[in-house]
Amino acid sequence: MDNAFRKIDIDAYDEDVLQEEELFDADPRDPAQVLDDAKQRQGAVRSALARSDVVGALNTVLENAPYGPNVEEAKAVTLQTLLTILNTTKSTEIPAVIKALSQDGQDTLMKYLYKGMAMPGWGDISGSVLLGWHEKLTEVAGTGCIVRTMTDRRTV
Amino acid sequence: MAPEVFNLAQTPITCHSFSADHKQVAVSLNSTDAQIFTRQGASWTLTETLAEHDKLITSIDWAPNSNRIVTASQDRNAYVWQQTPDPETGKLIWKPTLVLLRINRAATHVRWSPKEDKFAVASGARAIAICSFDPENNWWVSKLLKKPIRSTVLSVDWHPNNVLLAAGSADMKARVFSAYIKEVDDKPAATVWGSKLPFNTICGEYASPAGGWVHAVGFSPSGDALAFASHDSSISIVYPGGPTIYNIRISSLPFVTLTWTAEDTIVAAGHDCQPVVFSGSEAGWQGVGSLDDSTSGKAAGGARSGFGGASSVGRLNSAAFSTFRDADTRGQSGAGATTDTKVLTVHQNTITSVRPYEYRGGRVTKVSTSGVDGNLVIWDADDVSAGAGLAKQMGGMRM
Repeated sequence: MDNAFRKIDIDAYDEDVLQEEELFDADPRDPAQVLDDAKQRQGAVRSALARSDVVGALNTVLENAPYGPNVEEAKAVTLQTLLTILNTTKSTEIPAVIKALSQDGQDTLMKYLYKGMAMPGWGDISGSVLLGWHEKLTEVAGTGCIVRTMTDRRTV
Repeated sequence: MAPEVFNLAQTPITCHSFSADHKQVAVSLNSTDAQIFTRQGASWTLTETLAEHDKLITSIDWAPNSNRIVTASQDRNAYVWQQTPDPETGKLIWKPTLVLLRINRAATHVRWSPKEDKFAVASGARAIAICSFDPENNWWVSKLLKKPIRSTVLSVDWHPNNVLLAAGSADMKARVFSAYIKEVDDKPAATVWGSKLPFNTICGEYASPAGGWVHAVGFSPSGDALAFASHDSSISIVYPGGPTIYNIRISSLPFVTLTWTAEDTIVAAGHDCQPVVFSGSEAGWQGVGSLDDSTSGKAAGGARSGFGGASSVGRLNSAAFSTFRDADTRGQSGAGATTDTKVLTVHQNTITSVRPYEYRGGRVTKVSTSGVDGNLVIWDADDVSAGAGLAKQMGGMRM
């Protein structure tokens, strides 16, 4: 039976098709500015970590995290900054740190954990660290947090 | 009071709708037929099969006053069924009337308007068909609400004024439309949603916070507030005056259906297999607990306590999970380990539909749910238990 018709991209013939960028509100900031912000935060995070203020450092990274197209470099910088925090936090401190985050912060953190797990070997990603955080975060924020990571089109 | 549980079939129940006297229920058992079960004491027996559709039935609604049933299906059709005497035997039979929907994708959801002179059919054709009866031609005609819907409409709900319609859609928005039909409706009085309401006026458009499909929408009994549940595991309550939107993110799996039981209470249910109660007012909303008291009456619960502290992680706390965990961590398999594969909730799978069942004193006192497990359950809406680990996760957040 001929089934080639199943492979036709019917959306190409639909002038009213729903586009990817219509699915979420774009980041109003300029890509260059987003990158600037991300780099500045690196410094702020380092000084927060020097004071061993893990919650403050995480909040700095997770607030207004870059999302959407055209900000790949800012995303990479942010992921790198976040990994520094995750890798330096003692595993016994993790639950208390997570509980101190806002719901927004928890959701964004989950997005980064999945992003990190999708890029094995990149930078100083350590699978066991990410899985440790993932376990603790799921215990606090529940499976709903994972569901939001999957549905949210504002990918980090 | 314990919920009444009826197992109607071994197949999923896609949707259900009770007759006005609650003696009959119309369900779709994930098939092309709508089936009417009649209550006989403590059980339900199949008495009638409405067979006309040739694809899966997606939604059924039974009008309580005019005693008509409307069915919507993936075959892009809707039928209105009315009881008429058979010309030969004089016996009452359900006679179908085809509705001209004029949509080119599946019909997904259908609801009668409060006055039962119109109904709305949501569809995959990025449109909602508002159908009303044309006595001259003796058929149901439809008028399409199209703009600005960008994707499949998953649910609809009528405002008590018979004109406004809420719709939840896969483009991650909940909207409020005017479905005013000149031939049918009187001029509506002004509401909080607007005063001038020609057909297809958009009275409100609200996005789900983390980009989930809007699975369910519902107007409050007064019609002054709107609730919607979306696939990002959250439920939002909108007061259009401000506009104030309360969004509650839940820690468990998403809801797919909801109903208001009073002006200050909502029951929502879905992939987490239990009906969850939210309460609040214009000043704020929060989750209060579950109708499913999953801690009592289940003796096996103690044997599962090994998972202990992490019990907030929803359905992971099941016997099936502990069987695998025991096999993994202790090398136990089969013998000795429990063979019970039940989850702790009354519904053993996703709840597909929750509807008001019984009204008393202006409140819904009982709600009914149907699920993928083939069960139909009638719950006491006031019997709320603070589910373990549930309430603490759900603080209202003002946007």
